[in-house]
Amino acid sequence: MSVLTTHNLSVAYQEDATPIIADVNLTIDAGTFNLLIGPSGSGKSTLLKSLAGLYPEFGGYLTGDIRLQGQNINDLTIIERVKKVALLFQNPSEQFAMTTPFDELVFTLENLQTPPAEIENRALAALEFVGISNFKHQNIQTLSGGEAQKVALAICLAMDSDIILLDEPFASVDPTARLELLEKLQQLQQAGRTIIISDHDLAGYADIITKMYTIEGTNLVQVTDPTSYFAKFTPTPATFQPVTTASVFELNQLSFKTGTRTLLQAISLPIAQEKFTLITGPNGVGKSTFFTALTRLKAYDGQISYLGTDIQKIKLPKYVREVALVFQHAEQQYLKMTVMDEIELSLKHALHPDLWTTAKIDATLDQLNMATLKEHVVYQLSGGQKKKLQILLMLIIGTPVLLFDEPLAGLDLASVQTIFALLTTTAAAQKQTILMISHQLSGVTQYFDHHLIFDNQTLTYEVH
Amino acid sequence: MNASLKIAVALLISLEISFTKSISLNIALIVCAIIYLLFKQVNWKLMLYSIFLPILPAFGSWSSLYFYGTGDHVHMAFVLFTRIFAYIWIGSCFTFTTNIDELLKSLEQNFRLPNTFVYGVLAAFNFLPRIAQEVKTIRLAARMRGEVLHFYSPQIFFKAILTSFNWSNNLAQAMRSHGFAEGERRTHYHVIKIPTWNWLAAAAILIAVQAFLFMSPFN
Repeated sequence: MSVLTTHNLSVAYQEDATPIIADVNLTIDAGTFNLLIGPSGSGKSTLLKSLAGLYPEFGGYLTGDIRLQGQNINDLTIIERVKKVALLFQNPSEQFAMTTPFDELVFTLENLQTPPAEIENRALAALEFVGISNFKHQNIQTLSGGEAQKVALAICLAMDSDIILLDEPFASVDPTARLELLEKLQQLQQAGRTIIISDHDLAGYADIITKMYTIEGTNLVQVTDPTSYFAKFTPTPATFQPVTTASVFELNQLSFKTGTRTLLQAISLPIAQEKFTLITGPNGVGKSTFFTALTRLKAYDGQISYLGTDIQKIKLPKYVREVALVFQHAEQQYLKMTVMDEIELSLKHALHPDLWTTAKIDATLDQLNMATLKEHVVYQLSGGQKKKLQILLMLIIGTPVLLFDEPLAGLDLASVQTIFALLTTTAAAQKQTILMISHQLSGVTQYFDHHLIFDNQTLTYEVH
Repeated sequence: MNASLKIAVALLISLEISFTKSISLNIALIVCAIIYLLFKQVNWKLMLYSIFLPILPAFGSWSSLYFYGTGDHVHMAFVLFTRIFAYIWIGSCFTFTTNIDELLKSLEQNFRLPNTFVYGVLAAFNFLPRIAQEVKTIRLAARMRGEVLHFYSPQIFFKAILTSFNWSNNLAQAMRSHGFAEGERRTHYHVIKIPTWNWLAAAAILIAVQAFLFMSPFN
């Protein structure tokens, strides 16, 4: 039996604009697990927000219709609608209005006019199911990406929604938490819920999905041979070397904590110069904090030396010209309005200006598929384009060391490959050292020389 | 006492002393407020704040009337001086013993304030700490790009406004997808009822103020 059908659904940003997705005729059966893939910026979020009833209220112009269990979505009240369809957002920190998981659940259940006597039990049962009862009164902003998404899932559960839509829910979730969440979703599906999820990383889906869809151009098409897609996401065996060459950083008895919790116990190790080092580890273990220590933004114990000098003895304005951080959210790095304004600002401070001629900039923009976007407002770019521009801006500055915090979250495989092509050639030309924190490992491990694992309060090099 | 009643009493008394000229009433109110706050065991640092904060404006009002006023200016100078302290201490009785959560939820349930307003304000308060963090991040990100932004740089405001705009839109969507609908009836997990003694206490306080005002031998 179908729970969700669309008839000639088209969505555009404005009434007379070309649609982002057009003529979608979708029939989703009850109790199925559906995966939606497609390049960054192809309209996956737009489609899911339309199906959840958030568009046209919050943007977008819709034609055609959406039916939930036969009823037109426009004929339902908000409360009736969320009981049928719930949406879990990509950014875990921006989907809660209250401060703690329990308060957010209470808020939701009150909205649904749940009798007060039932509220507590339903909230606790939902938290129990996703396994986060311990955090129920903790501030949501202090939860890791994985934990926050579990809270969001608990809410979908408490609402008792028949259909659960998830818009790239794992962009900031570590592989272990991702598997736990996928397992919970599968249990929900087996209990009769319908799941529609969009994702770039296909690892872990092969055995659980019923149907797979992709967006080609503006059309939604069902993928008839999912196996060929999954093949690209089987982990490629990587080889990582021990550090034997010159080092850029020397950690000497380095340790740090957050509040009273120890994140790293005293450790001494080198980080190789002009090499690519990958850093992995579970959510909340302290990887980003490690970067803040390397950039002198956070106090630590022990010593970090950069090319033989204690980093505390280098003047800060000089040090930020040596070691720069590429933020997790691209928008945070922007200061101007258009793509070209941003590039010019970076050129003003470039350490290797001779490498970045006008022709070279044009060629690079072309390589990134952004040649036509020069006068575009940066905030209106798609998620993938924002990320590509941010990385280009930081490469133009050309600091000897670049620290990347989760640069691949939310990028499709093709964009990831483009970015690495740019990164490897530029880093070689400018003799740069690259350190990168990443959860997404599909198709990237071959670019790295070294692999640091951050777990159990320690850092260890993986060698094989 | 119930948060809404408490703020109503505080506002009514403040309004009344804006029109009275009784130094003794102002002092009596300050003394009562201090006793109340001591009884409530409010953090002494906050209490110090309430002592030192009003000194400058109180002294300023006092001196402008005392030195440059006409008519009954010496008396009025002291009325103004004590009035400013009274405002601050009456306000403290409310702010130091109530949180915004209690007040908004009580206004929603007991006084039918629209839920959009209640939860909009609540969500905005929950976002405040994040905005401070965001400003720090903006400055840092700029430094990584070779630009130094000062606290007065327009770029910081531009970026902070842009970010807040984005957040508020995301938040509205998140609240909607958690079933929040404007003007729709909601149930309440914690039902807030105003006990009768609260009404009686509020009335008693207001009557006591009038009684003091009209019967006190001092002015």
